[in-house]
Amino acid sequence: MTDVPLTAPGAAATATRRRLNPTLSRYLSAFRTPRGVIGLSILGIMVLAALLAPVLFPGGYDQQGSNALTGPSAQHIFGVDEFGRDIFIRSVYGLRVDLSLILTAVPLSMAVGTLIGLAGAISEWLGAGLQRVLDVVIGFPGLILGICLVAILGPGWFPLFLTILIGGLPTAGRLARGAWLTQQGREYVLAARVLGVPPRKLLVRHVLPNAMDAIVVNGAVWMVIGVYIEAGLSIVGLGVQPPTPSIGVLLNNGLRFVTQAPTYIIGPGVVLLLLSVGFSLISDALNEAVNRR
Amino acid sequence: MIRFMARKAPSVLFVLLASSVVAFALPRLAPGDVAVSLAGTDPSAANVAAIRKELGLDRSPVVQYWDWISGLLHGDLGQSYRLHRSVTSLIGDRLGSTVELAVFATLLVLVMGTALGVLAGSTKRRWTRATLDLGNSLLVATPAFLTALALILIFGVYHRWLPVSGEVSLLENPSIGIQYLILPAFALALSPSGIVARLLQTEMTKVRNEDYVDLALAKGTSSRQITLRHVLRNSFGTAVVAIGLEIGTLLAGAVITESIFNRNGLGQLAVSSVQSRDFTVLQVLILGVVFVAVICQIVTEMVLATLDPRIRLGAQT
Amino acid sequence: MISTTDSTMAEPPAPVAGKGAPLLRVEGLQTEFKLRSGGVKAVNDVSFDIYPGDVLGIVGESGSGKSVTARSIMRMLRPPGEITAGSVRFDGEDLLALPEREMRRRRGRKVAMVFQDPQAALNPVLKVGDQIVEAMTVHGVDKKTARARAVELLEQVGIPDVPTKIDHYPHQFSGGMRQRVVIAIALANDPALLIADEPTTALDVTIQAQILRLLARLRTELGIAIAIITHDMGVVAELCTDVVVMYGGRTVEKGSVEQVFRQPRHPYTAALLEAMPRLDDDRVGQPLPAIPGSPPDPAAPPPGCAFAPRCRYAEDVCTQEPPTLLEIGGAGQTAACFVAQRGAGLSASDIDAAPRTEVVPPAAPTGAPVLEIRDLRIDVGSRGRGLFRREPPVYAVDSVSLAVHPGRTLGLVGESGCGKSTLSRGIVGINPIAGGSVHVDGTDVSAMREEDLKRVRSSVQYLFQDPYASLNPRRTIRQSLTEALAFRGIGGRALETAARELMEQVGLRPEYLDRYPHAFSGGQRQRIGIARALARQPQTLILDEPVSALDMSIQAQIINLLEKLQNELGLAYLFIAHDLSVVRHLSDTVAVMYLGRIVEHGDVAEVYGNPQHPYTASLLSSSPVPSVSARTRERIVLRGDLPSPANPPSGCRFRTRCPIGPLVHPERTICTETSPELTVTPAGQRAACHFAGELAQH
Repeated sequence: MTDVPLTAPGAAATATRRRLNPTLSRYLSAFRTPRGVIGLSILGIMVLAALLAPVLFPGGYDQQGSNALTGPSAQHIFGVDEFGRDIFIRSVYGLRVDLSLILTAVPLSMAVGTLIGLAGAISEWLGAGLQRVLDVVIGFPGLILGICLVAILGPGWFPLFLTILIGGLPTAGRLARGAWLTQQGREYVLAARVLGVPPRKLLVRHVLPNAMDAIVVNGAVWMVIGVYIEAGLSIVGLGVQPPTPSIGVLLNNGLRFVTQAPTYIIGPGVVLLLLSVGFSLISDALNEAVNRR
Repeated sequence: MIRFMARKAPSVLFVLLASSVVAFALPRLAPGDVAVSLAGTDPSAANVAAIRKELGLDRSPVVQYWDWISGLLHGDLGQSYRLHRSVTSLIGDRLGSTVELAVFATLLVLVMGTALGVLAGSTKRRWTRATLDLGNSLLVATPAFLTALALILIFGVYHRWLPVSGEVSLLENPSIGIQYLILPAFALALSPSGIVARLLQTEMTKVRNEDYVDLALAKGTSSRQITLRHVLRNSFGTAVVAIGLEIGTLLAGAVITESIFNRNGLGQLAVSSVQSRDFTVLQVLILGVVFVAVICQIVTEMVLATLDPRIRLGAQT
Repeated sequence: MISTTDSTMAEPPAPVAGKGAPLLRVEGLQTEFKLRSGGVKAVNDVSFDIYPGDVLGIVGESGSGKSVTARSIMRMLRPPGEITAGSVRFDGEDLLALPEREMRRRRGRKVAMVFQDPQAALNPVLKVGDQIVEAMTVHGVDKKTARARAVELLEQVGIPDVPTKIDHYPHQFSGGMRQRVVIAIALANDPALLIADEPTTALDVTIQAQILRLLARLRTELGIAIAIITHDMGVVAELCTDVVVMYGGRTVEKGSVEQVFRQPRHPYTAALLEAMPRLDDDRVGQPLPAIPGSPPDPAAPPPGCAFAPRCRYAEDVCTQEPPTLLEIGGAGQTAACFVAQRGAGLSASDIDAAPRTEVVPPAAPTGAPVLEIRDLRIDVGSRGRGLFRREPPVYAVDSVSLAVHPGRTLGLVGESGCGKSTLSRGIVGINPIAGGSVHVDGTDVSAMREEDLKRVRSSVQYLFQDPYASLNPRRTIRQSLTEALAFRGIGGRALETAARELMEQVGLRPEYLDRYPHAFSGGQRQRIGIARALARQPQTLILDEPVSALDMSIQAQIINLLEKLQNELGLAYLFIAHDLSVVRHLSDTVAVMYLGRIVEHGDVAEVYGNPQHPYTASLLSSSPVPSVSARTRERIVLRGDLPSPANPPSGCRFRTRCPIGPLVHPERTICTETSPELTVTPAGQRAACHFAGELAQH
């Protein structure tokens, strides 16, 4: 019999953007929502400021003034610290430390975690075994893990980096493994298997793109937690070591002078909050975009 | 229920065992010789050798691990070589302070988290929900230490209503003790409450779309009854899991909160042990955290099983 | 758009003498989903009456608005759904005008509802007894009375061992039993009307027969009126007194079941009834008169009659304005069709106008089978193997032998859980084989080593049931096809040509190659699935329920396509289905499976015409037939549920449900002692029964 060519319901509406990769277009659509736009602008400004800090403030973060511990003024919008250094400039330089930490450690962590999670593709035994190891890591909350690593390596940037890296592995690993296990039962994966598509290609073509969604969202969440880990450990003196400024270091200093100069911690606190809010908004927007059908 | 627990036992034991190995390995992973660093400045070789022998460092790691773990199981937590006191007494002195904080904060999470979640999950008014959503997001996005700083500024510096530094034991003087406890406990509890509330709200929204909620509606059940009998009962599992998970985070947060509020608890002990590289203390503390986290997990699963007959009675699906 | 007054002028159909006042009168009902992109009219000007004791079937395909109609009556629409016009009068009282408080008092007490999926309709954390009690206490009955009534209700709906079962949780019940509980809840307050939304769709055919029989019994015993929403014309013919046919949110035809099935007045109803494969089909080897195209998109309905784009009678006027529902024939039957209203009959020859191909009489199997399995066993129990426990084997497929010959179709029939999908997945290496052998082109591939899998995959391909799940939503059709075509070792131009050819072969435009699956309807996706399987140029195609997820007007298209492809390419089909009529239409030979075993196997005409195994006989008699003449036939309704393959009954596996076994003839101990072998019966086919042929229809 001859079939009448059919027009699908809704085909016209999707025709315009049918050539764009749907994974990518969905991620991008996250940045068109109000939350995404706000989150992206906050972080954009912060990243830009951090990148341009040496250009904007060529004097560096150590330039001392004559006054000490004064509140915000037109000249020093966050006030100055115990050595008369501008807290705003120190916050911007502090951002460099924080952003350099999370923007390297988190993507690496997500990538390694994904690989660990997909190890089941090589051998089911290996996959299940590695999952067990991750179960142990998950028993150590981020800060406790940080304390262990600082105890071993001494305080500084690198143990923080390692903490964020290792701490992010379990969730990324679980998400990837979860995707691997569920995708294996999906009919389109079975269909590809029946066609004879080798396991390696199944992984790259079908499993990985589907694991990506959850891992990208999780990555954005983990960036927030990365900032917390840095600030938390630095506040108690186990993180970045002065005189290098980080958001946590500034909060630590501010806390010491909280009665003499209560405004000291407000500036760095607001910067931290904005950082956290920025990443949270983006992770929410991504989450929504990914789950939209 | 017993069979259910027995099924969980192997993985719990594995986690405990693996954590103990990690804790044991800590000082041995650190660069430098523990004995040398303990011997102080400019030690003599004999001195170092004596310390090494005393610590048992000259024996094989397996034997050392066995000695250490069997000591722990017999209640011998070891000696702090920095403070020259037994770890048991060091921890004993500070345990009360941390338990007070952790228990109070956990109660707050329970109450605030479920209350906010149920409220946000059952309101039909658009503005109420939007306000609750915003409040929740703010809570979630603010970490414990930032909340702590804000609380200190507001209630300790600008309005000197509550003390922001130090502590008084609740057992000694409840009315003063509670004043010292309020700010750190709230600082610790607000963010986890937000997370619990949000998860509960999401779950309630999901459950509301289930067919059995429709069936209840078709029976003529009122919306209040539907929320109570059908939606909440099926959403609580999520809240329980969330609370169980958040307790671990809460304990870790206690380290920083104690430090910020100058409370002399286990967190402070942990920080000072790290700074002085006092590994015997640290090892016990780390194992303790993992142990508590595991207990929380077991309790969580027991509560889940009582809430859900499918787990309790073993579902086929 | 028609205004409500227009339709009231056409309404009501003259009530049949003696019926009195209607129990429920729906007039001009209009329900809209207010989306950001604009309103979508899911229900557009629907009117009907239900009289006491009536069983009204509301029948339509997905998106026809039938379920939304049911929810609108109960005022249980989920936002953004909203009733925008019309009235729903129950006993003369307009339900739509009541405040929510008052409406709540009527839900469950005057009108009760039964939902489609019994797995989801019961609260998993409450005991079933408490859920029935709740239905009464919310209307003021005290707990003790309610509990006593709950026991009574559970007995009434046929739950065995009520005193124990009343305190069980839903997950301890089977699907059929859960649906009985849901019905018990609905009956709790003696409602005058029961609305059942696809109450048997999620159930197996033998369980469906149980539930339908229960509903019919309740109607005669309690005098309750029932409105049953369904997509299954067979269910309507079996159970209903009256029928409303919906299409594109509108009522297209309305009348008594007798009238509509004997002489459908609307082209849609007529075409649908014609296009359905039947159990007593004599059209074997001929294409079904399929309805072209697909149902309208509710978001963009055609301006005129919703069916006009697919209607062979459509005239200019049909595409310009929607027809109103008018009486035709003078006996209360109404249809919304300009052509029918003008008096033009839908003659049988018109209906049968689909092009016919030469009927090739099915030749006897020639040559060697392309696919053969011998004594195949598949273990699904050891899947959850842990570190500390090893589960006992569960043979979902237990010693099954089958052969598929080139150019011919073997139908494999059975209820869910009988192992038919496990079997087919074992053949292509998805489920590991525990025993027996698989031969492809005469070569033993049971070991499923690398080279065996290669051989299987170049010769046997698989078409999955769910067209929505079997295409990766992130890959274009071209990518999906290229993945398969790559095995031919072609590239560039040749690849492009091959992809376009495949698209044309399955009746799709090659321009669609660069689209993603979400742009296609279910039927189109199934065509893409077929194209992908064909890309590997297989000799055998395993069809795993290929049409059961599709709308009824689409099923025939896919069945025809499969037949066309078989004729053109000489493919062998292993066709797996639970729908006996589809199997009948497509197959040459048929095997009936029960709990991992083949119980009957033979030529289609022989098995259907003269079933030798009691299970086959009861399956055939449980299947609803979309014809009023079949209503009076004697029916065998099986008791109980399918036992678990983890713990199969001793001897004959069917004995726990068998209508001629030890249940009714206690002296037949052989059934519990000896497992019957598949042996040739006098009727020609083979059956595994000690008393084969006893339930034969002739």
